[in-house]
Amino acid sequence: MADSYSRDSEPTTRTLLRRVLDTADPRTPRRPRSARTDVQRALLQTPSSRRLRSQTKTTARRCSNRARSVDRLARVQASGHLEEQTPRTLLKNILLTAPESSILMPESVVKPVLAPQVVQASRRESSRGSLELQLPELEPPTTLAPGLLALGRRKQRLRLSVFQQGVDLGLPPSQEPHGNADASSLTSSLNLTFATPLQTQSVKRPGLARRPPTRRAVDVGTFLQDLRDTSLALAPPDTVLEDTQPFSQPLVGRSPSVHHSLPCCSHSGAKDVERAASRRTWSSGLGLQNNSAGKAAQLLAGNVEEVDALAMGFPNISSNIFGEDGVEPLQNGVGEEAEERMEESLREVEKAAEAQGSARAEELEGHIEVTKAEGSWGAVEAKEPEGSSGDGDTSGRIASPELASSTPEFLRARRLQFLEPAPPPSSAVLPSEPPEPLSARLPPKPRIPGSRPRQDPYKTGLNHYAKLFNFYAKMPMEKKAVEMVEKCLDKYFQHLCDDLEVFAAHAGRKTVRPEDLELLMRRQGLVSDQVSLHVLVERHLPLEYRQQLIPCAFSGNTVFPAQ
Amino acid sequence: MALSTTVSQKKLIKRKAPRGFLKRVFKQRKPHLRLETNSDLLVHLNCLLFVHRLAEEARTNACENKCGVIKKEHVLAAAKVILKKSRG
Repeated sequence: MADSYSRDSEPTTRTLLRRVLDTADPRTPRRPRSARTDVQRALLQTPSSRRLRSQTKTTARRCSNRARSVDRLARVQASGHLEEQTPRTLLKNILLTAPESSILMPESVVKPVLAPQVVQASRRESSRGSLELQLPELEPPTTLAPGLLALGRRKQRLRLSVFQQGVDLGLPPSQEPHGNADASSLTSSLNLTFATPLQTQSVKRPGLARRPPTRRAVDVGTFLQDLRDTSLALAPPDTVLEDTQPFSQPLVGRSPSVHHSLPCCSHSGAKDVERAASRRTWSSGLGLQNNSAGKAAQLLAGNVEEVDALAMGFPNISSNIFGEDGVEPLQNGVGEEAEERMEESLREVEKAAEAQGSARAEELEGHIEVTKAEGSWGAVEAKEPEGSSGDGDTSGRIASPELASSTPEFLRARRLQFLEPAPPPSSAVLPSEPPEPLSARLPPKPRIPGSRPRQDPYKTGLNHYAKLFNFYAKMPMEKKAVEMVEKCLDKYFQHLCDDLEVFAAHAGRKTVRPEDLELLMRRQGLVSDQVSLHVLVERHLPLEYRQQLIPCAFSGNTVFPAQ
Repeated sequence: MALSTTVSQKKLIKRKAPRGFLKRVFKQRKPHLRLETNSDLLVHLNCLLFVHRLAEEARTNACENKCGVIKKEHVLAAAKVILKKSRG
């Protein structure tokens, strides 16, 4: 039955030959061994059946002993067969050399081939080997079921053990190459096959053949370029947003008007020219950075001049000045200060002259309102109305033209809330000044160029931190205590600058860098092994500063700030 | 650059650092030295922490004296301690 089944499944020349061989009366000493061989054959015959395979496995194990003996006999017989060169042997050889589907499946090939063989053991091994040796020459291997393959592999392993025993026993040289080739199918160690195993494999499974994926190399250069372009595209909007600040445009527009107004001042009168010139020189000497509206200063200057003119009794000049004011575009302003000053000047104007004053007051009011609308500048200015400027109004005002020059800095350092009280120029001239704490604080010393601005903004800066002290303390504080705090801060800044200088010098640098600051904080005990600088930054600084200080990874494989 | 170094108008930073003030103070005291951009913020951080410690110490002093208001003396005593501590 097994035979018939095998034959039916593979109606090839091989099967036909097999049938012939089976039916034919073998002259070989097959009969004596027929009992054993038949058993083996029967066991081995059923092809493409796992049952058979399992059986063969078991039988192989059981018959391992028998196989050894059979092998010996088989080899002897096989050698004998080869020598005879009878038709039978030729046919057997043909069968042996019949193409097997693949090296992986020697079993399936072996099975049908072995079945009719006279010497099953020898046939098995020899067939495997010969088949493999002659694979490339013969027909393309037939596609076999994967089950067969798997079973074949399993059987292969078992048979390998058997084969190895046979090898140990001493295979004849004719058998050995077969055996070796056979073994190579199992383990790819002894590879005598001439055909490329891969080829057969690929031929066996054309659908599963892997093609290297066609990838287009990513052009990193263009990719980065695109990123940059997008980032650049993003950046301009920010800058545009910044530029659209109401402050910036007026400032830009103001600069010409500043110059414009200056000649107008010169026109107005000798006095004004002198005053303007003196103020200009003064302002240049001061070198103030904060921009706070050159325009506002101009306007205030105009107001002051106007007031002076009124006081002097030169309505023409004042009208000219007012004309300038009118020409001037909106003020960004120093913010509240400017407004206050303007309000004060407005009051003064109203007091001084009615007819002209009313007209100008309206203008001033208009200006003030505009500034109010625009100047959402910084809350710090609220502090500054202190005017502190008891005397230095003019000097502060004078700073204005040069503030105009410093407008680009202003644009850059927009965060600066600490604007000089540049605006409050009119208050100096105004006889009645609103009582401010700072003004009382300032000693009525003679004006020295350079010292006043040092004191005033310095105080305001310290006041900033003093207010923080007030906040941190969470308790009401006396005014004297606040002053005390400012003194302490002053001392602290001294120490700080000295330490930073020492650290920078120690590092051989003339620039103080964040590393120096970190060292300072470490020495102070703020930064330790448990608490790092970044932790402190995260805790106490707002997000925008944190982004600037702590490197963070962003899209596009960039780190900001760059390390 | 992924981020712009300046802040757009919409972002109103509360408790901004008086960078100009700090830079000016440093320049006036040490004209031969320069202060880097980001170290400016760290100086501000240092000041904040100093003020914080000072305030804590002053509050402790005031509470010890069972005073509801921080007075000059409390601040003075606190400053002595904290300045010594933050000498570096």
